[in-house]
Amino acid sequence: MLRLFAFSSLLQALLLPTLLAGSVQAKTSYLELVVTRPYLEMHTGPGRGYPVFYVIGRGETLTVLYSRTDWYRVRAPRGQEGWVRRDELAETDLASGGPAPIPPYPEFGAHRWEIGAGYGVYNRENLVTAYLDYGLTDSLDAELVLQQAFGTIDNRNIVTLGLRNTIIPEWQWFSPTVGLGTGYQTISDKVPPAPLESNNQLAYASIGARGFITRRFMWRFDWRAYYVFNKLNTSEVLEEWKLDLAVFF
Amino acid sequence: METRLGSVLLAALLLSGCGWFHRGDKGPTPIPAEEPQAEPSIIDPQVERRVVKTPKIKAKDFELGAYFGALSVEDFGTNSIYGARAAYHVTEDFFLEAFVARSKAGQSSLEETFPEITVVSNSGRRFTYYDLDVGYNVLPGEIFLGRGRAFNSALYVTLGMGDVKFADKDQFALNFGLGERLLVTDWLALHMDVRDHVFESDLFGVTKNVHNIEATLGLTVFY
Repeated sequence: MLRLFAFSSLLQALLLPTLLAGSVQAKTSYLELVVTRPYLEMHTGPGRGYPVFYVIGRGETLTVLYSRTDWYRVRAPRGQEGWVRRDELAETDLASGGPAPIPPYPEFGAHRWEIGAGYGVYNRENLVTAYLDYGLTDSLDAELVLQQAFGTIDNRNIVTLGLRNTIIPEWQWFSPTVGLGTGYQTISDKVPPAPLESNNQLAYASIGARGFITRRFMWRFDWRAYYVFNKLNTSEVLEEWKLDLAVFF
Repeated sequence: METRLGSVLLAALLLSGCGWFHRGDKGPTPIPAEEPQAEPSIIDPQVERRVVKTPKIKAKDFELGAYFGALSVEDFGTNSIYGARAAYHVTEDFFLEAFVARSKAGQSSLEETFPEITVVSNSGRRFTYYDLDVGYNVLPGEIFLGRGRAFNSALYVTLGMGDVKFADKDQFALNFGLGERLLVTDWLALHMDVRDHVFESDLFGVTKNVHNIEATLGLTVFY
């Protein structure tokens, strides 16, 4: 293990100055915590199966370097570095008293940002979708959606901007939503003849739902009816559904 | 169709209205009781409160890097491919990943046998894709190199979809991958991946699913 550390520190010593010259020189201060339980276990990796290779005793001070998912990389008083589980680290104290300032998981009902992607069907065509969503209030969100539809005759890129209202934001696992918005689609044909118009403005109304999965994970479903503004005398209405997986912050 | 759109719009308006009322239902606000007038204090303490700032813990859940390898385009030979990848680790098991890459397909056997036949134009031989994936660490563990070195690693599977542009056409493609991540240090990872991009193609007159398998080697940095 010692040789591993020596090897990794040698690698860092060789590579870091060239890669991250600026950030290494900048002085960073780390959080220091005191162990209050009988002992704190350090694992060799950030996962439940990695073996415990070191134990920090009660009253000893550890340095928290950074986190990865639910694990924290810490440095023991004698320099050993390893990974501590989030819920165990939360039971330590600050040197000044007070509980360890381990940030809580973002509350699903009150989160601000969402970023996600998914699959859908637009006008019977395969659809790849990605979106960015900002919560204006707990129930009202503004969303930017980028989509690509793959048809047999043409491909379409669709960009929409809209508002989405979560009817009861307190419902965690399944909460219905409604939305309205507008946007553009550009059409590139695959098979001649070329389409009459290569881009149109759109407006849509949507009904959907969203729900919490775990940690920062969530799902979203949307069914949209698009009204296509075209220069022809016929009105064109297209349907779409999609299912997204997203991360919220 | 129009009546349906109308009804959807109406439903949307009604439901958002419901949400509005639901939110407004908070009951009367209590009237604050008048505070008793405090007596002027004789001693005015001039002690300044010390502001203790606890350092924040940096989260290193993102992974960014590049990869290089070989891509076998069905019917068009095997060629080099290079790309970039970005991942976000949501839990110790799941991660979300995005890829962009480009390669160039060779000649099909039909074109080699009959040089006068062109299946794909020269510009159409460029093969590019983007993918959006979900990944799962199936077998996390450690890899031992000799007696004294252990590297954290994980065998993972990915499933995703995206766009493959080949023969001047964008196609919807599914992808299935199997990969191994080996952490050289806690911030530098080596990846070995095999991924299959499947899409529908009718280049030879018959519509069929084509499998385009790539084997790549990559390097990523956690930050």
